[in-house]
Amino acid sequence: MIGDKRMVNRDIVITGAGIVSAIGIGKDETLRSLQEQRSGIRPLHYLKTDHHEFPVGEVQLGNDEMCAMLGIDPSKQPTTRTALMGMVALKEALEQAALTPDQYPQVPLISGTTVGGMDKSELYYLDFLENDSRNEYIRTHDCGACTEMIADHFGRFRMLTTLSTACSSAANAVITGAELIRAGRADCVVVGGSECITKFHLNGFASLMILDREPCRPFDESRAGLNLGEGAAWLVIESADHALRRGAKPLARLAGYGNACDAFHQTATSPDGEGPFLAMKEAVAMAGIDPSEVDYINAHGTGTGNNDISESKAIRRLFGEQVPPVSSTKAFTGHTTSASGTIEAVICLLAMQHSFLPVNLRFHSAGECLTPVSKPTAKPLRYVLSNAFGFGGNDSAMLFEAIGATTSTAKVSDRHQNKVYLLSAAQISAQEPLCDEWEIHPLTLTEPLTRSREADYKQFIPPLEARRMGRILKRAIATAHTALDKAGIADPDAIVTGTGLGCIENTEIFLDALCRQGEDQMMPTRFMQSTHNTISSIVAINLHAHGYNTTYAHNTVSFQSALMDALLQLRRGKIDNALVCAHDEMTPSYHALLCKGGYLKGKHAAECAVSMVLATANPGNALCEVAGMRMLHRPTEVEKQQALDSLLAETHTSQYTLSTDHTDLFGTSYTAPALDLYAEAKLIGDTPVVVGYSDDTHYTLILLKPCGDC
Amino acid sequence: MEELILKLKKEIIEVLNLEDVKPEDIDESAPLFGEEGLGLDSIDALELIVLMEKNYGIKLQDPNQGKEIFKSINVMADYISKNRTK
Repeated sequence: MIGDKRMVNRDIVITGAGIVSAIGIGKDETLRSLQEQRSGIRPLHYLKTDHHEFPVGEVQLGNDEMCAMLGIDPSKQPTTRTALMGMVALKEALEQAALTPDQYPQVPLISGTTVGGMDKSELYYLDFLENDSRNEYIRTHDCGACTEMIADHFGRFRMLTTLSTACSSAANAVITGAELIRAGRADCVVVGGSECITKFHLNGFASLMILDREPCRPFDESRAGLNLGEGAAWLVIESADHALRRGAKPLARLAGYGNACDAFHQTATSPDGEGPFLAMKEAVAMAGIDPSEVDYINAHGTGTGNNDISESKAIRRLFGEQVPPVSSTKAFTGHTTSASGTIEAVICLLAMQHSFLPVNLRFHSAGECLTPVSKPTAKPLRYVLSNAFGFGGNDSAMLFEAIGATTSTAKVSDRHQNKVYLLSAAQISAQEPLCDEWEIHPLTLTEPLTRSREADYKQFIPPLEARRMGRILKRAIATAHTALDKAGIADPDAIVTGTGLGCIENTEIFLDALCRQGEDQMMPTRFMQSTHNTISSIVAINLHAHGYNTTYAHNTVSFQSALMDALLQLRRGKIDNALVCAHDEMTPSYHALLCKGGYLKGKHAAECAVSMVLATANPGNALCEVAGMRMLHRPTEVEKQQALDSLLAETHTSQYTLSTDHTDLFGTSYTAPALDLYAEAKLIGDTPVVVGYSDDTHYTLILLKPCGDC
Repeated sequence: MEELILKLKKEIIEVLNLEDVKPEDIDESAPLFGEEGLGLDSIDALELIVLMEKNYGIKLQDPNQGKEIFKSINVMADYISKNRTK
């Protein structure tokens, strides 16, 4: 099956695009604003906040207006601004690609967000604690819930997941979608990102003192910070063959992409822009072109002192004397954070289709930075590079190629057949006191919530770094070191993390202060730990790992998504090994809220910390082979059976056992499926095991083979 | 001034969570940032700005001002004594 798929042209084309931002609802308005140089930076209007000193790029629609556009009755279903903007943009993308609801069950949908449902959490937080009036919004807090709301508005998609790597989230959603197509796992994927402005991150960015009180001036000598923006943008991407077969018109080709980690600091980019340089270099190399062929760079260009100088240096490192025209369109849209990757991708598509260079508004003098495009310029564009960099040094770049007579044909010849072994794993969980002996004498969980002890971290983390890390981060670093030591690997090629709620303890402290004490609470350290990708990036900083680094935050499939990502890259030989992590912490108060909302269904809850090392070579002591997996969203019974049958056929498995439910052993958490896999891998006998997970929304299968069969 | 310096040291240890550091370990003339002194970084600078606002009523709008003010405990104490509003 997979063999057949290798023969086809798996070049990736974009056949649909939709966008909402401060400069317009839809592509037409966006194009007009760009060409007429109409900035969307305005005084705050829609967000209710005390901080009127900061101009922003708000989408010029209220939630009620978006509900009306979408035919949603907000009194009948909970909605968030992030989800509503996502729906408006996705509608445009699906319509342009002419994808119809009968096709959605074959199409995975991948989103990027960090804020998720925070707009409602910060509005109703005190209600959550004090009364039952807003309980339905407790569950809309997590990033995955927003993705589910966006998808469910249109129909049933095959698989849902959510990237959360701060300001590169949407770019990484594109990369994951593209990897699924390259591997032949999907013919068509819907990818995008959505993020609304909230009081939470407006105050957070204010506490980091990187917000400009004037409209932002990217790359200008006088720049004094960024303006927050908001919006959503979606792309329909598919294999060139699939587009041809169904008669969809390609808008552009996704010729390359790169993801690297700066591994330098939680909120600052390294002075020489190592992560940005590596990401851009990878994207250009993947496209098989010389840097001199790039016609335009849509920079990350936030307008902060730090970003613009280090991005300038990274661009000069890659392009030398021949720096192509560069501009940051954040002076139009504001920094749309997690959505910026796809918002700027759509801006690039518009520039390519209409042959012009978007202007870098409000630029006067470069100083040490490079000089961006400051006048409207007509120019045919063939290759366009778009950058998206996130906190923690999660840096990504995408390279688009215009569709033309000379468009290159299939360069993709991956084999996607490497075997993948689970070399080692380390965990800290409710069963942790007995550690590796838990299978002999498991503890019985008695408390509604079991919190894990603090990790023995002192040998791994210098005191100066440890002092501001929450418990979840210390566990992440300690388990990563333990698993890597067991596997004999010092610097993993990739670090992929799944986390349902990220550093919820620090998030909650920040939110609590915001809601109870008002908006003059400056808590920079708490805020910078509130992004979900803090875990993966702090591990990278600790290990000095500059390789691929990403984070999935989609409730109960956070870990399975991370595993899927690592498998895709290992199978095609892009990487030789990967550190796959699953971490969730729980606070007593957040646990109480989940119980109150009826989301835990009476199960014992516990915290989860798992790090595992996967590799394509087995030095002889691997725990098992991870032979394959399936991820489905709300499947029918027939689809469940088909998924199992195809997984067994693909892995040449006839005899197998089904895993047992370990919830009683480990307690439930969003990333508990990682503990299931760990347990099954340790206990595996002579027969392959299918580790299954299912809930109201998701269905996943992971097939483990004993190493006797490896 | 001696009193302010000791108070400031205690506040810095608490705010920056410098677990193993005692007030007498901090040389009041040594740099707070970089490897020669306490080894603090840009996030600590932000926390010190918060500290000055909360405890002494001094509001800085430009984080770059911190570079001069946080050179050492002595410089910081001197700045606070001249500019404090509470």
